[in-house]
Amino acid sequence: MAQFLDLWVQYAPLMLAGLVTTAWICALATVLGIAVGLVLACLDGIAFEPLRWAIRAYVEIMRGLPILILLFVLYYGGPSVGLRLSAGTVGVFGLGFYGAAYFAEIFRSGFQSIPKGQIEAARMAGLTGSQIIRHIKLPQMLVLITPPMVNQIIILIKESAVLSIITVAELTKNTTQFVNETYAVIQPYVAAAVLYWLLVEAVAQLGKLVERRVRF
Amino acid sequence: MATQSLEPIIRIRDLTKEFVNFSALSGISLDINPSEVVCIIGPSGSGKSTLLRCTSFLEEYTSGEVEIEGRLLGYRRGASGLVRESEQNIDAVRRNVGMVFQHFNLWPHMSVLDNVTLGPRLTKRVPAVKARELGRRALAKVGLEKFADRYPSQLSGGQQQRVGIARALAMEPHVILFDEPTSALDPQLVGEVLDTMKQLASEGITMVVVTHEMGFAAQVADRVVFMDHGKIVEQGPPAKLFNEPESPRLREFLDTWRSRNMLFQTEEPTSGRRGQGARS
Amino acid sequence: MPVTTFTLIQNNLPVMLWGAGMTVLVSGIAIILGMPLGLVLCFGVSSSNRWVSRISRVYQSVWRGTPILVQLLIIYYLLPLIGINVPPILAAIIALTLNTIAFQAEIFRGGLQAIPPGQMEAARMVGIRIWAARRTILVPQIFRLVIPSLVNETISILKNSSLVSVIAVTELMRVSQQIVATTYRPFEIYIAAAVIYIVINLVLSLAGRTAERRLAHGT
Repeated sequence: MAQFLDLWVQYAPLMLAGLVTTAWICALATVLGIAVGLVLACLDGIAFEPLRWAIRAYVEIMRGLPILILLFVLYYGGPSVGLRLSAGTVGVFGLGFYGAAYFAEIFRSGFQSIPKGQIEAARMAGLTGSQIIRHIKLPQMLVLITPPMVNQIIILIKESAVLSIITVAELTKNTTQFVNETYAVIQPYVAAAVLYWLLVEAVAQLGKLVERRVRF
Repeated sequence: MATQSLEPIIRIRDLTKEFVNFSALSGISLDINPSEVVCIIGPSGSGKSTLLRCTSFLEEYTSGEVEIEGRLLGYRRGASGLVRESEQNIDAVRRNVGMVFQHFNLWPHMSVLDNVTLGPRLTKRVPAVKARELGRRALAKVGLEKFADRYPSQLSGGQQQRVGIARALAMEPHVILFDEPTSALDPQLVGEVLDTMKQLASEGITMVVVTHEMGFAAQVADRVVFMDHGKIVEQGPPAKLFNEPESPRLREFLDTWRSRNMLFQTEEPTSGRRGQGARS
Repeated sequence: MPVTTFTLIQNNLPVMLWGAGMTVLVSGIAIILGMPLGLVLCFGVSSSNRWVSRISRVYQSVWRGTPILVQLLIIYYLLPLIGINVPPILAAIIALTLNTIAFQAEIFRGGLQAIPPGQMEAARMVGIRIWAARRTILVPQIFRLVIPSLVNETISILKNSSLVSVIAVTELMRVSQQIVATTYRPFEIYIAAAVIYIVINLVLSLAGRTAERRLAHGT
């Protein structure tokens, strides 16, 4: 029994380092994804057909692609078109732009949930499109979109495991290292499962806090 | 205060809005003069609200022109006909037009005062302190200065609509459009809104009011316009229109209205309606 | 002499399409197996029996709260340890199925909640036994309600299937990797694979919308 727990103690630093890397990469990717997603959703409201078509295409492509392919194109295919990025950078950008498509959809349905009458009143008061988004749409939307946004962040955390395949030293890669060095299977994967679960729970709880604070 | 000039504030020429199988508006031409109060009446589906919304370019139309203070709204005269304007230019022409909506359309996440001051703050770049003063004055005008820090959900329908009027006033418009302002209100709340509107009229503000409130039209309007099936059927001073309607459709409309409202009239039955009294 | 992109794709398309076929096969089996089991889990989660409900919810929480790659690796390494020796493709199908069951149960639960409880009560009062009642009354309605979500989940499984390449299952992803290893043209090959995935998913979305329309008429 002691031997069983020994492995955990021995590899705790490695696993925790992996967890921190995972958390850090996901945080960066989330910020990138939300920023890009918001921009896309705002642009979608402009009545310029080719732009809206391009945004639609972007969203459909990201939703139809396994993230692994996106990462492979960027990491392994990149150098042949002059793009030499580190695995970590590819991870953040890949996850970020992948998530942006989903965040954009969440923002879009949020924008559409505001009653048209309020928008008309804002137009008559002379507000420009971006002023309407900032003062009328976003404040009211926040309560509505927080749960799906939190859900999407959790999905990104789980997807981040795939980064191990392009050699990023996050939690799953370190778990594999744990397995390869010790030939144990149960301890590493149980530890990995618990650590991912903890991270997901933390984000879910944070989400509930944000939801409560955002109610107007 | 409305500018005193001889030119019409709003000029509508040959406005038409067509759908696949019917016409909402057919060749409407109408002028609104400074300090005039014009009431538009008619049965449901006659196109009254559509006309108002096209005048403020909240709805697009098939053909015709709308001029606000001499400037074309929504379109520009191009080489081969009319070209749609950019949103910025539409806002610029529409700047001096205010609107009061049937369902108030207040912004629920902002206080009453913030609702009133948002327009001046963002559109006219009025600094926050001055905007709040302006807002309180507008609220005082509609009798709601004590409600400045409340939220719309805490107000009755009548109070919300008066906030809507204050919001329009805060932008210092040259003309205010009212789209059935009391139709969504409980009967006992209608009076307070109409009283506010009567007061505005007495101050000389140019108003275009789509309404079912014939009493208001009779007392306050300078001109009443009767619409049916997308056309202006008859228009004139309320005394003439209500006492001596010329067109059969208007007569029918007034008869229906009278028979529905007989039971609720508290004034002594007179042979005609009162003339315009309340305006000084 | 470097081969043009067009020739490169042309040469390798057949084997890539074969890989795509494996992708569809593996995903398809997982989805089809997942439906009845997902329904069972769904009824388990909503069960009035505390233990059944609790165990079901733990299962759901575990399989929805951890990355599918980790789940895949666990199944792959764990099965031989407990004496079950299966080819990688079977391990892949098992892992994908166990994963999708958890998500499908949640989807079905949403549909289940939209059905007024009075319908089951009526069935029980007429003497129909519980599983028969569920099968004939609830399940058809649930399916009609949740088709869009099911289509999304199917697309999700298809994308997840790319991960089974790491346990040596030769589906589209692995085939692409092998081609790249011999041709050294990663950019074009992976883009081609991406296009194939997108096409498969577009076809799926279209099929889903058609199924939705057809079933809506039946109501």
